Amino acid sequence: MTDPLDALRTPVVPVEPDPAFRAELRARLHRALLSPATPPYPTGQKESEMTTEVHPATASRIPTLTPYLAVDDARRALGWYVEALGAIPRGEPIVMPDGRVGHAELGFGEAILMFADEHAELGLLSPRTRGGTSQSLRLETPDPDAVVARAVEHGARLDRPVADSPYGRGGVVTDPFGHRWMISREAPYGEPAEPGEPAEPGRAHGDVGYFTMRTPDDAAARAFYGAVLGWRFTPGRVPRGWQVEGVTPMGGLAGGAERPEVQLCYQVDDIDAAVSRVRAAGGQAEEPQAMRYGRIAECVDDQGERFQVFQP
Amino acid sequence: MTERPGAEPSGRPRVRPAPGLGLIELYDAALPQVYGYLLARCGSAPLAEDLTAETFLAAVAACRSADPPTPSTGWLIGVARHKLVDHWRRAERERRGIRLLDGGPADAHDPWDAELNALLARDVLAALGPHHRAALTLRYMDGLPVPEVAAVLGRTLHATEALLVRARAAFRRAYPAGEGRDD
Repeated sequence: MTDPLDALRTPVVPVEPDPAFRAELRARLHRALLSPATPPYPTGQKESEMTTEVHPATASRIPTLTPYLAVDDARRALGWYVEALGAIPRGEPIVMPDGRVGHAELGFGEAILMFADEHAELGLLSPRTRGGTSQSLRLETPDPDAVVARAVEHGARLDRPVADSPYGRGGVVTDPFGHRWMISREAPYGEPAEPGEPAEPGRAHGDVGYFTMRTPDDAAARAFYGAVLGWRFTPGRVPRGWQVEGVTPMGGLAGGAERPEVQLCYQVDDIDAAVSRVRAAGGQAEEPQAMRYGRIAECVDDQGERFQVFQP
Repeated sequence: MTERPGAEPSGRPRVRPAPGLGLIELYDAALPQVYGYLLARCGSAPLAEDLTAETFLAAVAACRSADPPTPSTGWLIGVARHKLVDHWRRAERERRGIRLLDGGPADAHDPWDAELNALLARDVLAALGPHHRAALTLRYMDGLPVPEVAAVLGRTLHATEALLVRARAAFRRAYPAGEGRDD
């Protein structure tokens, strides 16, 4: 300890910052805590491996126009919109001293939906109390059939079945809280994707046609990969199943697995021959099943890895 | 977990405590510590405010991650230290285009028996280039062992030792009372 530079040693001495700065930073922290758990898109820059970099400009990103709904049961609505419509919770609801939810936020793609319990003293009544709503919410999705089916399955009232129109394909439901949703896919757009269906021409024997991410907690996985990769999800055709929007090869997410696992589905020219080869090579294969998009067989390789083969 | 008013019946989504809420509770007490730490090391109030804001916003992000830390003032000072190093790294990057060699290799055996005036030493430190300033601040102002300095800087131990030798040499050349002041 004879190093002269030890004279530089400076313990942490608290310094009270400017009160305006203190108040402003506190407000920023509150906003950051309410900002999306999953930024809609990756922000890219990373300053250093050692640091968790947050860019203040993106820490609280609110679109220009955002619906703010009154509902008669905000806690239930929060769960319903997540389960039935694939919304992603943003921050935590703010609970008022009287127990009402004073503010809650959900992310739908790049959009935000804000809502709260009824506040009759402010004239904010839910559609169920009012006896109807005066507005509709239009939700753009690649697969309106699946989203409408899922909403109805979760208790929405079907007002207009999914049908094609010059403006695209869509249907209308009223959710259990009385809000009207137009669930649509803007024209033109191809037929809804199906697992295993080749996304682009030219896929050949041996190519990966589809991936399935199996995970114990699909909501957590959506939040994680939404944050990390900017993935967006469309409700799939099975409970806790989700399509990843716009990735190549196509892929999906399935909740309820015992342990996390990614399974790949390989395209083959002749699925019966492929199944024979799987078995001959020491793996296991179930009999091919006919699906809308082709024939698919569940397989396990000789080391226990699960995969599928399909023939379009 | 504290039960909130109007807790929902079972079967409904739980209203969980916000991750990072502990940070808000810590904010009032920790703010002067973090700000004081940064102000003493970067020497400019506006810069200290910027870095303080970056520190707390990064802390929010960390608290909302899959593996959240338990926020404490000590942990926040650690985050602030990274923010300070990031700042100097940016500053170093900006001036790299016009910078000449930083003094070249120095004698690893560096016996220097001067007794430094602490205030003057801090002025000298503040005038050094960003990477020298970063290394000496962590090593001497914060009193971190060399391996921890290396970890914060994201350098190998060997590279950090070499950097400290060069930084000390630069400091010594710049220190007015020091011998062999050659610039």
